[in-house]
Amino acid sequence: MVRSFGKYWRYRDLVRNLVTANLKVRYQGAALGFLWSLGNPLAMILLYYFVFTHVFRSDLPNYILYLIIGVLHYNLFAQTVSQSCDSLTGAAGLLQKIYFPRILIPTASVLFNLVLWVVAILILVVLYPFLGGVYHWGLALYPLALLLYIAFIWGIALTFSVLNVEFRDLKHLVDIAIMALFWFTPIGYSLSTLKPETRSIIRLNPLTVYMEMFHALLYQGTLPEGHTVLIAILWTAGSLTLGMTLFWRKAALLVENL
Amino acid sequence: MTAAVIVDHVSKDFILRHNRAFGIKTRFLSVFHPGKRERRERFQALQDVNFTVEKGEAMGLLGPNGSGKSTLLQIIAGILPPTSGKVIADGRIAPLIQLGVGFNPELTGLENIYLNASLYGFRNNEVKKRLDGIIAFSELETFIDTPLKHYSSGMQMRLGFSVAVHLDPDILLADEILAVGDQYFQDKCYDKIAELRRNGMTLILVSHSSSQVEKFCDQFVQIEHGRVAEIGRYGQNLEEIARRQAI
Repeated sequence: MVRSFGKYWRYRDLVRNLVTANLKVRYQGAALGFLWSLGNPLAMILLYYFVFTHVFRSDLPNYILYLIIGVLHYNLFAQTVSQSCDSLTGAAGLLQKIYFPRILIPTASVLFNLVLWVVAILILVVLYPFLGGVYHWGLALYPLALLLYIAFIWGIALTFSVLNVEFRDLKHLVDIAIMALFWFTPIGYSLSTLKPETRSIIRLNPLTVYMEMFHALLYQGTLPEGHTVLIAILWTAGSLTLGMTLFWRKAALLVENL
Repeated sequence: MTAAVIVDHVSKDFILRHNRAFGIKTRFLSVFHPGKRERRERFQALQDVNFTVEKGEAMGLLGPNGSGKSTLLQIIAGILPPTSGKVIADGRIAPLIQLGVGFNPELTGLENIYLNASLYGFRNNEVKKRLDGIIAFSELETFIDTPLKHYSSGMQMRLGFSVAVHLDPDILLADEILAVGDQYFQDKCYDKIAELRRNGMTLILVSHSSSQVEKFCDQFVQIEHGRVAEIGRYGQNLEEIARRQAI
């Protein structure tokens, strides 16, 4: 266990170099390159704000804060999972020519999306006090909640990166699923406004528990409920187990099927 | 002498997938079109291959196209798992199956050096120590801050070769690319390989040219249809050994 971790640790600069290479390539020539990654979530938030306040009415206080928290965290999931599909298939040239721990390729893709996302989360950090956000000690727990969420996403990303080797058109389905999942996640609405039957359906979505944690910590200024955290931990454990097992079992033969 | 690489009863089967179904859609359609269904066939690329390369020795893998020698090289490099048997390698392996693996045309030569070396498991600060040597050997000092897309193919090969040989591999696996560039640079490559060999590096060279293998290697394995057809040693007389050491 320790030895195999050491093997991955030796390659930590590979992950770093892959992430920085991607960043450099993407924002090359754009003087304020990083600012572009703010544009998309900002436009999305304004759009949803218009829709949810003027088309469908929402009575939530500080509604835009509620919305920003949901949209930003959902974006991290959506972008990472969508891109994870072709992380392995896109790196076929590398994988067939040299040995290095294969898991680092989808992992680097997750970290790349995380770095872009950290820039986008600056919107929230800057606007937080103006939108009615409360500073309270519970915020110290936010990094832990985020870590749980990132680990969940990592597990899903590993799963799809492996499945995409066998099913090359998986990305089309995943992109549709991600689009649908947005509406099945309490982002623009609150669980409390739903009918009990609808609510129990929405609760089946793993993203719902993470959103509840983020909304409790960042929007309501309270600690998330114990059972919410417990379910989130279970989802994370499940997703990591699935992703790791699949990778462990398929990694050796991956190269032949690329 | 101790062994650097032991190839122990290695066999490799590939599953040939005719009409491979690449997606969910094609899998679904093949339910209705039996003719387009995927057919699988077993293909034995390597059968019970055995040999040992001692530390500091150079071994040539000879064989015609499709004989399985490149597959064997990929197994030794750890890229493909053997179906049965095992490969034991003692030391840091640098597979030169292709020069400049992972090179990104948008990045500069310098950035690509770091990226390429980290694929071989090198830390950035280890690369930094070797940076001057790598750049000097490639003779690309004036272009090192230029994006790789502006390099000629020869310049890219020179950079790739330079990175690979400056990582002090214990075992170098090469797939017919011991020399790149023009005659001048090729000679430089040969000299560098000879220098590394004098310092104790083990070399495994895949080639279908027996004259190239004879020039570089102490022994050879002839592979035909996935089996070892012949194992032999060059330069039994002292005169020939002396000649080769002078190269």
